[in-house]
Amino acid sequence: MNIKRSIVLRVRLAFLIVALIAGAILFKIVRLQFVEGEKWTAKAESANFKYRQVSATRGNIYAADGSLLATSLPFYRVVLDPTVAKTNVFNEGIDQLSGLLADFYKDRSKASYKKMITDAKSNGKRYLILNRKQIGYQDMQMMSTWPIFNKGRMGGGVIFEKVEKRYRPFNSLASRTVGFLNEDRYGAGIEYSFNDYLEGKNGQAMFQKIAGGYWKPVFNAEDIKPEDGYDVHTTLDVNIQDVAESALYRQLMEKDAAFGTVIVMEVATGKIKALANLQKNKNGRGYSESYNYAIGDQGLTEPGSTFKLMSMLALLEEGKVNLNDAVDTGDGVFQFYDRKMTDAKTGGYGRISVREIFEKSSNIGISKLVDQSFGHNPKKFMSYIEKAGLDKPLDFQLKGEGVPYFKKPGEKNWYGTTLPWMSIGYETKLTPLHTLTLYNAVANNGKMVKPMIVESIAKGNYVQKSFQTEVLRKSIASEKTIKQLQELLEGVVKNGTAKNVHNDQYKIAGKTGTAQKLEEGRYTRRYYTSFVGYFPADNPKYSAIVVIDSPKGFNAYGGDISAPVFKEIADKIHAQDLRLNKKTPADVYLAQQTSDFPYIQAGKVDELQLICNKFGISNHANGVNEGYVRSKSMDRSIQWQANQTESPVVPDVSGLPLRDALYVLENKGLRVIYQGKGRVKNQSISPGSPVQQNHVINLILG
Amino acid sequence: MRQDDLYINKIDWISICIYVALVIIGWFNIYAAVYDEQFPKSIFDLSINSGQQLVRIGAAFLIILLIMVADYRVFDNIAWILYIIFLVLLIITPFIGKEVNGQILSIGFGSFRIQPSEFAKFTTALALAKFMERPSFDLSTFKHQLQALTIIMIPIILIMLQPDTGTAMVYFAFFIMLYREGMPQRYYVLALTFIAISLLALGIEENLYIVIGVVALVLLLIISGKKKISRIIALVVLGIGIIAYSYSLDYVVSKLPEHQQNRIMVLFNPDLDPLGAGWNVTQSKIAIGSGGFLGKGYLEGTQTKFDFVPEQHTDFIFCTLGEEFGWVGSLVVIILFCSLLIRLVMLAERQKNRFSRVYGYCVISILFFHFMVNIAMTIGLFPVVGIPLPFFSYGGSSLWSFTILLFIFIKLDSHRIQLLGRMG
Repeated sequence: MNIKRSIVLRVRLAFLIVALIAGAILFKIVRLQFVEGEKWTAKAESANFKYRQVSATRGNIYAADGSLLATSLPFYRVVLDPTVAKTNVFNEGIDQLSGLLADFYKDRSKASYKKMITDAKSNGKRYLILNRKQIGYQDMQMMSTWPIFNKGRMGGGVIFEKVEKRYRPFNSLASRTVGFLNEDRYGAGIEYSFNDYLEGKNGQAMFQKIAGGYWKPVFNAEDIKPEDGYDVHTTLDVNIQDVAESALYRQLMEKDAAFGTVIVMEVATGKIKALANLQKNKNGRGYSESYNYAIGDQGLTEPGSTFKLMSMLALLEEGKVNLNDAVDTGDGVFQFYDRKMTDAKTGGYGRISVREIFEKSSNIGISKLVDQSFGHNPKKFMSYIEKAGLDKPLDFQLKGEGVPYFKKPGEKNWYGTTLPWMSIGYETKLTPLHTLTLYNAVANNGKMVKPMIVESIAKGNYVQKSFQTEVLRKSIASEKTIKQLQELLEGVVKNGTAKNVHNDQYKIAGKTGTAQKLEEGRYTRRYYTSFVGYFPADNPKYSAIVVIDSPKGFNAYGGDISAPVFKEIADKIHAQDLRLNKKTPADVYLAQQTSDFPYIQAGKVDELQLICNKFGISNHANGVNEGYVRSKSMDRSIQWQANQTESPVVPDVSGLPLRDALYVLENKGLRVIYQGKGRVKNQSISPGSPVQQNHVINLILG
Repeated sequence: MRQDDLYINKIDWISICIYVALVIIGWFNIYAAVYDEQFPKSIFDLSINSGQQLVRIGAAFLIILLIMVADYRVFDNIAWILYIIFLVLLIITPFIGKEVNGQILSIGFGSFRIQPSEFAKFTTALALAKFMERPSFDLSTFKHQLQALTIIMIPIILIMLQPDTGTAMVYFAFFIMLYREGMPQRYYVLALTFIAISLLALGIEENLYIVIGVVALVLLLIISGKKKISRIIALVVLGIGIIAYSYSLDYVVSKLPEHQQNRIMVLFNPDLDPLGAGWNVTQSKIAIGSGGFLGKGYLEGTQTKFDFVPEQHTDFIFCTLGEEFGWVGSLVVIILFCSLLIRLVMLAERQKNRFSRVYGYCVISILFFHFMVNIAMTIGLFPVVGIPLPFFSYGGSSLWSFTILLFIFIKLDSHRIQLLGRMG
């Protein structure tokens, strides 16, 4: 009896537990679906749909003539959701589509594309990146007409994912000035300094999360429209910039210098027409823009003799000297306390006039005069520097401006030798832009204007903000002093250290500078050479500074290194300006400049560069590091492009002269047979295919 | 002729109807789980899961036919042989099987693969029935308890080695059968307490509550009960044991493999790692929770598409049901399962011999365990254990093994009169 009762009890208990658990499950489901139903429904939506950022289109950067310096171009990545297209649409279009894709991308066969897409479809893959290569707008438009694709996103499942790329139509031209912005929103140049205007406001759009963790845009339109960035209009002149860059590049190449800078400024307005910075590439081959020496901290150096203009200004303003006074500069060595000052000419200049001191750039002469006039009251000398606006940064439009460095009388590091050395441009630091601003003021009859590189910020025709020329000092010195200084600067070119840039066409006024570089507290045999001035001297239109650092060779003086670059730039600008004003024989030269390039297709980079440089055609390597290159003309310059001659595939030899083609191909282990004369027109093995030793390649020349 | 008519009447058609209903609903759900609105395929299409499952369902009906025409005595006779064969298969599976996700569960040739661990369920059930059939068998003796336990533990250990914790756990369901057959209650009280304490200790941040509770309970029992010293000591020792256990549990859990730890912790706090271990459960809850009263309609579910819920068509098939048929659909399926279980309890109780009854309770225990754990895990009541929902989930081994399990019992039940004679 007991056992029977116990078993009945146990069976009942079993029933109870089944019922209990079933009840618990039902209860939990009720809770899920009714009590928490809204929460889970909301979660279902929020987990899979989300607002995500849609980037605004970045504003453009324009040159003064409206040429584009930087713009954002849309590129597209082609993605297909192969499950979207209706079966009949898909089946009808897939063959043709695969063929078109294969023809377009050329990286896989038609069959392979077809297999990839149909496999993805049968696997239910909803996000198939057809090719990682980004295509341009035109290609996107064309692709939109292809079968399946022409049904659009909702009908065909094609998604063109927009990616904006910054594009510089002039490529490396003024690239450092135009600048960049990296993903951490740090950068340089205009892109960085004016980012607040350029970047615009990002919008939002609804995206759906799809399997695999990808986000797919739900609609074509955004919910919060992105606000496009403003355009920045600069004062840069692409032609002057090109001239400046090419001239600088050639001189740097020739002198194997470390870096160089050119600034060209409009005298009356302070508008910067060209701003070039070139630095030797790390691999030692060629130069490219990497740091803004003209403006930035690293460009801050002892200016050397170009500072003598400031000393002269102080002396003349003080009224202590007359240009025709005679000064004994001695035998070229002069002792100031414990330091020896020397002149460039061995044996010294002897007794010469103040004018000659400046023209010949006598260190002893200038320092002696300054020491005599201000040695007892150096603060007076400093007050002239302040009056000329050299002691403070210019508050230039680009970020990262170097701060001028001057020692102050009475401070610990002010020695008896400080003033004499300061008077010739040592123990003090200025950026090239600052030095140029002073010379520009002299050219501008004493009126010091602030340099500017951005004229306005606008969107379409609507101008958001425009920048006017800012006058820093109405007059940095008396009219008489300015006239005398102008006279002195003209004298430097006419009789002095920059005689080599003198010409009969127009007058250049300026001053050379050669500073010994201070390294680890010692002055070395390396020089910082510069030439700063303006032209035409009679009616100054442009001022410019050319800096070339650490040139190699015997003559390392500013007059020999930097002044010729100045002249070349001035010549070309002058010629161009003449064309704008009147018809002159210079048109002949300009006609040549605007005509087609010489026939340069491809070849050995050194030879092509030589030809281009001889003809004065600006050419840029842009980091291409190969012996054989092909050319691509960009506006008015040539870009050297990699020719894959150094990779293990058959290179493209079209356009190469036979000699070069033979050299390149036979080096790869191919046997060459050719017909005809001239340059290679056709090659029998297509470029990019793998090299097979001893295969015969047929070249047709023509 | 008369004999045949009689035999058909002896078969329990109620169970068979519920079985057929569950298999058909399951099949429609598998189709829903893989259905792609943009690219619809027929439910019969052999390239998708539902088509393949139909073939398996066909095979299952063949198996049923074979079982029903077989001699009812064969199961009794070959119980031990089958048990041994599948133990051998379990042993060799890790060496000749195919590895999937770090587990080697299945063996076979080409595309035909079976999971021995699924089939070992019914062979173990048969072996237990055969073993306990002996008249001398008495579960109140420790020796017999140990022997029954050994029959259960051998496959558990072998399956743990594969390693497939979920399937191994299923074998503990046999203790439900042992309970019915007279296993002393104290083991169950102990085990349930152990489980309850574990859940509490893991679920409650502060173990102090458990300590207070246990101490209070022990004091209460000492005061109220008979004041035998031995009894008081036993209670105190038990109390201290529980407290020590609850404190050591964190350490025990920390020794488990990481994915198992995560599954346990996520049970208590699904938001802990919503994209990791909690992903399955959260997605499953989203699916069921967004279903509402009547559901979104057949093939209209959005959450159960596109692989939001992993193992959609296998272990998490219940959430497709919850989303598309809502509360009503879930209720119908739960009622069907409960009806089947209760019907089987009734059948087991009407058996006149111990072999059939023990086997019947084994079937009930396994189906109950699968049903409870599977649904409980899809709604977040239980840690995620990869075991299928009987008759519902996609997969051949699972469907066939449950079919064999159930129909051997239906076959035995249909011969209960003859089996009575054998016993005598």
